[in-house]
Amino acid sequence: MHAPRRKHFNTVNAASLARWIVITIFVGLTGLIYVYLNLQLYHQGDRKKALENELVSTRAQNEVAKGQINVLTSHGAMQRRLKEGYLKMVPITERNIVRLNLPAHPLGEDAVQPVANKRAGR
Amino acid sequence: MKWNSRIRCALVCLAFTALFSAFSFRLVYLQMSRHDEYAELAAEKHVYRQAIFAERGEILDANNQVLAHNTPVETVVADATHLNNRDALIPVLRDALEIPANELSEKLQGERRYIVLKREVPTAVATLLREKLRAQNLRGIYFERDSTRVYPNGSMLCHVIGFTDFEHRGIQGVESSMEEYLHGQDGYRFIEHNRAGQEMVLYRGSEHAPRNGNQVRLTVDLNLQNIVENEIDAAMREYRPQKATIILMRPQTGEILAMANRPAFDLNERSEAKPEQMKNRAIIDMMEPGSTFKIVTAAAALNERKVRLDTTIFCENGLWNFGGRPLHDHKAYGELSVQDILVKSSNIGAAKLAISVGDQKFYEYIRRFGFGERTGIELPGEIPGVIRPPQAWSKISITRIPMGHEVGVTPLQMTIAMATIANGGKLVTPRIVKSITKDDGTVSTFSPVVLRQVIAPETAAQIGKALRGVVSDRGTAAAAAVPGFTISGKTGTAQKVDPRGGYEQGKYVVSFTGYLPSDHPEFVGLVVLDDAHTTKPELNYGGLVAGPIFSRIAEKAARYLDLEPHEDIGKPTAAGRVALTNASHR
Repeated sequence: MHAPRRKHFNTVNAASLARWIVITIFVGLTGLIYVYLNLQLYHQGDRKKALENELVSTRAQNEVAKGQINVLTSHGAMQRRLKEGYLKMVPITERNIVRLNLPAHPLGEDAVQPVANKRAGR
Repeated sequence: MKWNSRIRCALVCLAFTALFSAFSFRLVYLQMSRHDEYAELAAEKHVYRQAIFAERGEILDANNQVLAHNTPVETVVADATHLNNRDALIPVLRDALEIPANELSEKLQGERRYIVLKREVPTAVATLLREKLRAQNLRGIYFERDSTRVYPNGSMLCHVIGFTDFEHRGIQGVESSMEEYLHGQDGYRFIEHNRAGQEMVLYRGSEHAPRNGNQVRLTVDLNLQNIVENEIDAAMREYRPQKATIILMRPQTGEILAMANRPAFDLNERSEAKPEQMKNRAIIDMMEPGSTFKIVTAAAALNERKVRLDTTIFCENGLWNFGGRPLHDHKAYGELSVQDILVKSSNIGAAKLAISVGDQKFYEYIRRFGFGERTGIELPGEIPGVIRPPQAWSKISITRIPMGHEVGVTPLQMTIAMATIANGGKLVTPRIVKSITKDDGTVSTFSPVVLRQVIAPETAAQIGKALRGVVSDRGTAAAAAVPGFTISGKTGTAQKVDPRGGYEQGKYVVSFTGYLPSDHPEFVGLVVLDDAHTTKPELNYGGLVAGPIFSRIAEKAARYLDLEPHEDIGKPTAAGRVALTNASHR
């Protein structure tokens, strides 16, 4: 004699399942975001390093250029150019010089004392 | 059985508890008690202290023209353990660094981890090499940033500027004396590397920024220096002396406007310079000044009121026996006023002036003029000179010292003595550094320091008046005159001291020191030539050799400083006549 067969169903608690699914998705997303942000940080770090290198290189180029300007405009270089005829000096004639009657500097002041030219007043 | 299973269960639990307790205790011990020790060990493996190099400060002239600056360069190094293709690497390095292939292969042999291949490689060359290595996938070559000191003016002002060593530390000149200010302080940051040896920027630790060196501005005016350098070069060509020194100084402030020595060297090729070329003779060479020292003798006698400018002294007609030894004048003079003793440069007259002052007092005046002590200029290696105390004098010293014998002075000390006369008797400390500018723009300037009033202003004025006569037709330095200006000056011709004792025959140190204009001196100058070669021995005098050099420098300097001539320029000058006379001798 068989007992009347009753169909058994496992009851699923939908609310609980939904909660777990949400939690799982949340945790998964959090992990992915964490990994993404971490990678972004590395990426930004590499960019920062590249920019720093670029900055150093630009600064170095600037220093080299400044150095070349200093060398090319030095007294020795100018004199060489003058000798070679690349530069020419035009003397300023006396009548083209205007001298100001500045008051004399007090003794001890470390500046070249301009000399008042009496002829300027004439 | 039941008891046994319970017992077994309890034992297993106890064992697990004990085991995990032991683990826990060990963990706590390692993580807390020995945390610092292990953290340090871990850091040593991964964390590196990366240096951030400070830049050395620039050196500028009084008008902000650059005298010394830095240029970035790179040092190429190799790690032999990282090299992946030596055969391919050597030709690339050979072409880029211009190093012979055999030298390169020798260097790269073995397993050394740090091999310096070449220093001071220009950045452009290093960039090209880096690209080539990357293109050919060659590993094991690294580049370290560095800088090199460049001196745009080559040999100009070389003894004053000085230079740095391998580690960028000043070892001569202002580079050395101002090291503290120029050097700066390197910074650092802690970084971590990944397994490939690349920095992980994310894990950067603390950072300490570098402090760049300060900018040092000198009192030297490169335009005046250029005038002096041209003239000293011309003098070297004309007279072929062993060595020469020229100094220009502003008497009121003690500022050195120009300072040149020969022989000299190129600062950019200093490795090829000989020690003799590197000496700043203005401060480390001792000389017997000769007659220029008579300004000290006359100043002492006048300041002590033993004589007046017009007091006459009998000069023994050119030969005086004192202490059993003869003292000569270059001409036979009878009665000479104190003024004329300076104008004619009488040795006998100067000796009698010193005797009137007395040993002790005369010695005091010598010391008060700054002889026998370092001037305190901001340059390394200065010597004090040799001034013996009266106790160590011989019987005839009182007649020899007044004419600049038996004393050892530096050219700078002699310049300062003349500056004291020009400055109304005030002794001002010479200085070569005008200001120091910090990285943040703060400027510290140095004020003139008046050390002492050596002689009364009236005495200084009297000496100045007498020295005008020296640069006249009557004096010994007519050739030092500058058209349009009055000059006070004094010549010196001293026989050269033989290091083995006594004096060298036919060899002289000729000098001229003076200032311009006489009434309101703008600069004091000194010209010294050691062992000048003239066409005739009788032309080897301070007034005939050093005087004209001073004249040319003073004329150009006066024009540059825009000094107003106060005499008719068109008037034929004594200098012109003497120059012609000298020319006719040759």
